[in-house]
This record gives sequence, structure tokens and C-alpha cells, in this order.
Amino acid sequence: MFYVRYLRNELVRRRTRTIVTLVGLGVGVALVIALASLSSGLSRAQEKTLNPLADIGTDLTVTLQPQQNQAGFGFAGGGGGNRDLIAANQSVITDLSKLGKPGQHFSHDFFLPGSQLPFQQSAASQVSKLANVAQVTTGLTLIAEHQQGIVPKIVAKIKTGGQTFRFNRNIPRPTAAQFQAMQACFDKLRRQNGGSSNNNGTNGQNGLGNRGGGGFFGGGGAGRGAFAKCLPASLRKLRTQFTTPQQTLRQVLNPPQTNISTTAYTIGGVDQSKPAMGIVTTSQVTNGRFLGAAGGHEALLSTSYAAKEKLKVGSPLDLNGTTFMVVGLVDPPLGGQSADVYLPIKQLQTLAHEANLANVVLVRATSSSKVGAVEEEIKRALPQASVASSKQVASKISGSLVDASKLSDDLGLLLSILAAGAAFLVAALLAVSSVGKRVRELGTLKALGWTQRMVVRQVAGESLVQGVLGGLFGIALGVAIALVIDAFGPHLTARAATGGSLSLFGETARTASHTVSLSAPVGIAAVAIGFGLALLGGLIAGAAGALRAARLRPADALRQME
Amino acid sequence: MSLYTLEGVSKFFQRGPTTIRALDGIDLEIEPGEFVALEGPSGSGKTTLLQLLGALDRPSSGRVLFEGNDLATLSDNELAALRLRSFGFVFQQFNLIPTLTAVENVEAKLAPVAGKDPGLRVRALALLDEVGLLDRADHLPAHLSGGEQQRVAIARALSVEPRVILADEPTGNLDTKTGADAIDVLAGLAAEHGATVVVATHDAELAQRAPRRLAVRDGKLAAPVFG
Repeated sequence: MFYVRYLRNELVRRRTRTIVTLVGLGVGVALVIALASLSSGLSRAQEKTLNPLADIGTDLTVTLQPQQNQAGFGFAGGGGGNRDLIAANQSVITDLSKLGKPGQHFSHDFFLPGSQLPFQQSAASQVSKLANVAQVTTGLTLIAEHQQGIVPKIVAKIKTGGQTFRFNRNIPRPTAAQFQAMQACFDKLRRQNGGSSNNNGTNGQNGLGNRGGGGFFGGGGAGRGAFAKCLPASLRKLRTQFTTPQQTLRQVLNPPQTNISTTAYTIGGVDQSKPAMGIVTTSQVTNGRFLGAAGGHEALLSTSYAAKEKLKVGSPLDLNGTTFMVVGLVDPPLGGQSADVYLPIKQLQTLAHEANLANVVLVRATSSSKVGAVEEEIKRALPQASVASSKQVASKISGSLVDASKLSDDLGLLLSILAAGAAFLVAALLAVSSVGKRVRELGTLKALGWTQRMVVRQVAGESLVQGVLGGLFGIALGVAIALVIDAFGPHLTARAATGGSLSLFGETARTASHTVSLSAPVGIAAVAIGFGLALLGGLIAGAAGALRAARLRPADALRQME
Repeated sequence: MSLYTLEGVSKFFQRGPTTIRALDGIDLEIEPGEFVALEGPSGSGKTTLLQLLGALDRPSSGRVLFEGNDLATLSDNELAALRLRSFGFVFQQFNLIPTLTAVENVEAKLAPVAGKDPGLRVRALALLDEVGLLDRADHLPAHLSGGEQQRVAIARALSVEPRVILADEPTGNLDTKTGADAIDVLAGLAAEHGATVVVATHDAELAQRAPRRLAVRDGKLAAPVFG
């Protein structure tokens, strides 16, 4: 048909104009499709990540948060205030003497409830009796402090002695009788040794003076032992008593050198008899299987923790001397209850010495419309409990995924409108410009007898076909961009505190993160919207060009070319 | 009844504050089958007169009657239909559609008449054969000489067997010999198809070939030119 050939010739033989229009429209459509796909990818990721409770078959979580200056919780086993928080977490205060003998290697896991205080598991039955509650289960999420190293030796060196004590004391004066006895003894000794008589004569009775030659000690011959025998007993042995000055010995002790290292992780106790509802469920198992119903020495690991610790399904996991077998890897939803390691709740209670205790009750309402009512019921029945819905849990999730979702919500639509608008503008301007350049041609057609309608149809037809082709090109380009995003897309993370943050003992808040590879699934709707926009762009451009063409009066058109 | 009757036809153009009187009170009658030359220098008004005769424009005053019908009373669509079936135009610049081949340019005139008639291409080729361009049928205008382009334009003008051929300076862009050849073809085919021919030209040699020559000066018809 002539008109089709004419249209085809116009597009093929005015190649540059056609290509520019197609590229303009195509890029616009591709951006719309890519942005819509990206937005869809983000929505999927958010749906999964920002709806953390849905995946674990739960509508509400009930926990017991420590409250300042508050005594008495509704839950059995509750205490009050930070005192209980400290008491619940005191096992973190390491008593080195209990780790083993100095120099021995030790490895130990301490389990702390963090800021989620434990309570009797029987509290769950209180909740289950409330109206509109379909099912209830409990969980125990603890912060684990894994410590290992050598028990340190503490050796103190204290030096004593080396002090000199000096004292002076007058020798007691001998009595007159003692003096005479001594004198007699000395004389006797002198005689026995053939010595001279006392040439000093009596030197009075007042002293033992050594004035003059020999005196008592000046005599030769007699030994000191013999001389000592002449002394009265009181002079022979000097006895005295003294008290040393009181003093404090100070010795600086260096702290013991230790290689103890501490790593923290979170550990969750799961009621394995309810695999569809709990802090982790069968739907999160990505590898291996869920915990067996018997609740033996089995463990589940989060995929990220398994990768970090280089553990896999089948690996043994030693916890304070008990070996657990890793039976599955899970991708737990973010939120307060996610953990790195999951054990059957009884096993964790035993390990953590928390018999019959839990720190979260998971609640499912009879229908989604009843969730609000159940939340109110629980708050009324247990005024000190902290009740969180999926939305509230999600609101505590942060990270680039959340930022990207906000960005997508805020800017996605605007960018799409801008991209489509820019593409339409380019197409319309090119169509108008094309008509401007074809005044002579269109005037000739009118002179040949073409009606206004025929000329408009031809011009609009060209734009519409360009719209269709631009749309197809845009779809191909958009899909290609989406594939590139899929292949090389950045990773987005979402983070949330887990296991209850604990800064009381210097432990920083534990956060769980969820990494999502940014994907851009191209949906039928995105393609349809993109193609529809291209057609609309073609129609707008066609209408703009046709309007310009319709205004041409044949004589004016022909006059312009002269 | 005359083919054309023009009564006191004037055409003014407004160019800013100035009013240009392109045609000023033209009275004229043209009979069927006539070969009429409108002679005059550039700007004399002969092209404007040709456009009024071809229903491409409407007079500012006066009446243009074609076969007794006042063209001013016809709607745009009726004028388009008249141009399609009754008039064939030949322009100084040839005015071929640059993206269409020679045969497609002829079809551009035939298509609105023929509709989906599969004989469209055959008829267009036959017309190109009449102007001696059958072997150039698939060439684009850019690949044809000036004379060839003008012959394609003549074939296009004659394609619907119009009652009137209106040619505006048809040899203006051709050398003397090519121009003469083109006029030979135009005159011969017009006579063969029984069409009336009105040619606007400033070429005295071309004008001489017309049995009736009308001089246009400053928008008015001067005395008939003889000789």
C-alpha cells in the first residue's frame, strides 16, 4: 500500500532523524522500565526484609524490657529495674578462678539475656488464653560471649629484711656484794695465773673504772671465758625487749598477662515442635533441614554466621563441652529475635542455666484484622510487657536497603516522570522540527489534492510508528539495563539490633544484618507501562507534528519554497 | 460555459504595516482545452493568479468560478477534492517528494483517487513510460536530472487525467533545450488528454508556444499579447 511505503521511506530515508527520535524515546522508556523494575526489586526485598514477623508465622512478639525504677512485672519470674538486668547478665563477670588452673587453656561460652529479661515459659499460656489468639510459642534469644585463652597466673614478688636496728642500754650497776664477789674472783684468777697483786688498790666502790694499768681486764693470763665467770649473772647475759617500728610493705603487682579473646554472637532457643512458628521456622531453611522434633543436640546456623565461622551443614559445634551437630543453614528475618545459632529451646535453657525460662512470646492472631485487638488485649493483661507488631519491628531496621527504599519511594516516580517527559519532549520537538523542514513537501501534497486529514494521518502515523519502534527499542534497552543491574547490582544491607542490646557491661549492641543483592525483575506491568508510554509519546509527538501540518495553507506552503 | 470565469479578482497580502496588492481586479475567462500563457516579470502576480486558478488560495475580493462554481463557497475538503481530480500542478522546483522514487511520486497523486486499487503501480509506470522515464522509475529525485524530475512532475500532474494543467515557470530551472523538451512533452500530453493548460512564465520563447498569451503587470492583466 502506498501510504505504508511512504511512511517506511520517510523513516528509512530520513535515517538520522528517525534514529535520534528512536533513541530519545527508547532511552526514556528504558529508564522507566529500569526504574520500575528496580523499584519492584526493592519492593520484593523490602517485603521480605521489612515484614520480619510474617516469615516466622507471627503477628506479634511479647518481651519483657527492663524499666527504670519499676518494681514488679506482670510476668512470673519478673523482678524490676536495672538490678534485675544486672542479675540476669551477671554471668558475664568472669571469675578467672573458675576457668581452670593458671596456665591452662580454656574455652567457655557465657549466655546473657541482654535487655530482654527472661521469664517463666508458663507466661505463654497466659497469652494463649486471650481472645482472638490463634497460636502462641516461646523463644529464648540470648547474647553469647565466647571466651577462650589461657587462665592467667598472678605472681607477686615481695622483698623483706635487710633492716638494721640500733639500741643503747646502760648496764645495771652491780651491788656491793656482787662487786666484792667479783673482786675476789679476779684476785683468785690472778693468783692462779701468777700475776701481780692489785696495784690499783681499791678504787673506791663507786666504779669499775679502768684508770691505771690493768684494771679488771688488764691482767694477763686469764682467758675471757674465765673472766666472764667472775661476772654476776645479771651482767653475764643481757636480756632486753624492743619493738620494731610499724611499716606497710608496698609492692606493685603487674596485671596478669592474658591472651583471652572474646567473641560475641547471638543464640536462639526454638520450640522445635512448632516448625511453622517460632523465632526461626522451616521457611527460613536455605540448606539442610530444620531441627528434629526430638530436640537433640542439633543446631541451625544463620548463613552469614556459618560463612564467617567457616561452618557448614554437618559441622560440629562445641558449646561448653556439649557437641551440637549443624543440621541446617537459615536465612532468618531481621528483627529483635534473629540469632546466629539456633538450638532446641530445652538445650539452650540447660546450657544457659535458664531452666523453663524464655524471653519472647510469639503470638499469632486468628486473623490479620484482629492483630490490633490482640495487641491491646496483651497490653491490658500484661501491662509491663513490650508488644511489637511486624511494622514496629520493621521500623527499627536501618541500612542501605531502607535508604534505597526511601529513595525509590521518593525519587523513583519523579525520575520516571522526568525520564518519560524528557523522552516525549524530544520526540515532540523532533516531530515539530521535522514538519517544519517538510513544509514544501506537505504543501505539495496538499496541492496534489491530499486533504488535511490525509496529511495529518501521514505525519501522525510516522510518529506513532516511531513510538512503537522506540517502545520496542526501549523495552530491549530497559531489559538489558535490568539484566546488568541483576548481574552487577550493588548489595544492599538492612540492619537491626538483635537479642536485646546490652551496653550495661560494656558489650556493644548486637546487630544482625541482611544483605540483599539489588535485583531488577522486569515485570509485564513495567514493560506494558513502558510500551504504553512510548505509544503515548509517539501520539503526543504525532499530535504536535500534525497540528503544525494541519495549519499549513497550501498556497503559503508553496510560497515559502519560492 | 467557460471553464474559468474570474470577476474582479483581487488578492492582497499584509506584510507588516504594508499591504501588497498582488492581484488587482482581474477579469478573465478561459475556455476548455485552451493553452494559455501568463507572461510577466517576477512579482507581477502571475503565480498568485495561478494559485487562485488552482484552488490553492482564495481571493481577497471578486469571484473565481470554475465550471460555474464559485470556489469561495467550497469547503477545504471540497477544494482538496477539486485539486485532486481536476487540476494538475507543475512547479518550477519540481516539488517531488524527496524520499519517494519517481514511480512513487506519481503514485502520490494517484493513491488518494485509486485507494487500494492494485493497478496503481501499473498506471504510474505507464505514465512514466509516456514521459520516457520508465527505466528511471525506481530512482529517487536526487538521482534524476532537472529535466527528468520535471518530466516526473508532468507525469504526476497528468496521472488523474485532470481538466486543467497549471504550470508555474516549468522551465525556470532547466536549460533551454531541456526546457523546450519538457514543454513539448507537456503540450503534447495535454493535447492528447484534452486538458486545458495555463502556464505562468517570464520566458518569452516558451510563451510564444501558447496560442493565447496574457501579460500580467503589477497585478493586472495588460492587453493580450500577440505575436
